[in-house]
Amino acid sequence: MSGSGKDHIIKSYDDELTRLTGEIVRMGELAVSQLEAALDVVERRDERAAQRVVGNDDAIDQLEQEISHDVVRLLALRAPMAGDLRNVFAALRIAADIERIGDYAANVAKRSIPLSMVAPVGPVGGLEHLAELAANEVREVLHAYRDRDAERAYQVWKDDVVLDEAYTGYFRQLLTYMMEDPRNITPCTHLLFMAKNIERIGDHATNIAENVWFQVTGEPLNKQRSKGDFTSNPEMTKLGE
Amino acid sequence: MTDSALATNPAQAAAASAVAPKLTVRDLHFYYNGFHALKGIAMDIPEKKVTAIIGPSGCGKSTLLRIFNRIYAIYPKLEAKGEITLDGENILDPRYSMNRLRSKVGMVFQKPVPFPMTIFENVAYGIRHHEKLSKADMSDRVEKALRSAALWDEVKDKLKNNALGLSGGQQQRLCIARAIALKPEVLLLDEPTSALDPIATSRIEQLVEELKSEFTIVIVTHNMQQAARVSDLTAFMYMGELIEFDVTEKIFTKPGKKQTEDYITGRFG
Repeated sequence: MSGSGKDHIIKSYDDELTRLTGEIVRMGELAVSQLEAALDVVERRDERAAQRVVGNDDAIDQLEQEISHDVVRLLALRAPMAGDLRNVFAALRIAADIERIGDYAANVAKRSIPLSMVAPVGPVGGLEHLAELAANEVREVLHAYRDRDAERAYQVWKDDVVLDEAYTGYFRQLLTYMMEDPRNITPCTHLLFMAKNIERIGDHATNIAENVWFQVTGEPLNKQRSKGDFTSNPEMTKLGE
Repeated sequence: MTDSALATNPAQAAAASAVAPKLTVRDLHFYYNGFHALKGIAMDIPEKKVTAIIGPSGCGKSTLLRIFNRIYAIYPKLEAKGEITLDGENILDPRYSMNRLRSKVGMVFQKPVPFPMTIFENVAYGIRHHEKLSKADMSDRVEKALRSAALWDEVKDKLKNNALGLSGGQQQRLCIARAIALKPEVLLLDEPTSALDPIATSRIEQLVEELKSEFTIVIVTHNMQQAARVSDLTAFMYMGELIEFDVTEKIFTKPGKKQTEDYITGRFG
């Protein structure tokens, strides 16, 4: 579990670091299943299930608190150095990112409730594609974290552009729908917020990738990356015309 | 230059601290009765910085420190080969007078060893050995040394008391005062706080921070947190070899060598 491959002389130190990694992975898996569950309730238009997804976010928050507690304890009692220090520091930051991912998943579920109260609109399917891309990113970066695989983390970081581009495309699609028929504005606005939430999940996955990279290499991930989210470009609003 | 090259190149490490070297060690070998205790050490110790030497017991760190003021020379069958220059002069050369060396390189040991005499005399004793001063000048020098060692306020009213009545931490600061009273250029500290409680340790660490504006300090310590807290550069030694020498922050966040990482993270088997 260590960066160096050797165990610590003090065995319980290894146990604590292994436990920390386990908690992060478990928290991440919970966030991914929350995102999948949120998408499911959007499709099924199931208000009660949506409420359950929103309520389940507490479990992720609880795990984040446990991780923070463990990190403070490790810092105070073990005074970690070098690779161990980066390990503990990265865990704290990654936990904060996963917590935000959980919040975004809960937001998607929350918005599915007003969405289910109006007539179904065509572009709901596009949201599913975005969510799949985001969930894959989070799953991949968790694998990279668990295996201390900087290259795999870098790949996730680089590939986030695909999600950004898909989001930009979806944004255009929703604009077109809203322009075609003002009755689409309410559901499409909700979908727009949900899509933005999912796009942000991808951004947090790239944050996690940066932390995995730092943890393994000791260097910040300072590479060039193309951005695919052009929705803030003023030209975008003209695209539906 | 790659990071690993930086880590193994002491000249680069000194350059990283952007200060000219005070002491340079080149191809230093040391033998105890034929036992090869130091194997080709090369490092540049920068002026008016704190350099820490860490490593497991028996790695040669105290031996290295003791060569810096040739204290080994009092024992027979000990032999140092190679070169150590202090401001460009080879101090291992027998022509470099011991008296001159000791006035330039002061040393403080693990256990405080005050002389069994008054606090004042403990500091004045060494000065008398090197200089003839009037009573008033001597009082000034002793006061200045005790102030620099952050001990003056605690002892100014009992300078005539026996030094053995001081606490361990005070005794150690007295030893530091005794060393700096000679106005040395280099101060060697061999595990100066290992016999002290945490408060006395903090006082010594604070003192080290203050003294580095005047002296080049080399500290050997078993306490890695202490090395991290007080030093600008850290050298890691193992089995008589200098494994890595670099700026302290790098050694403790991202060491270049696996052996260093294993040692400082407590993975040394």
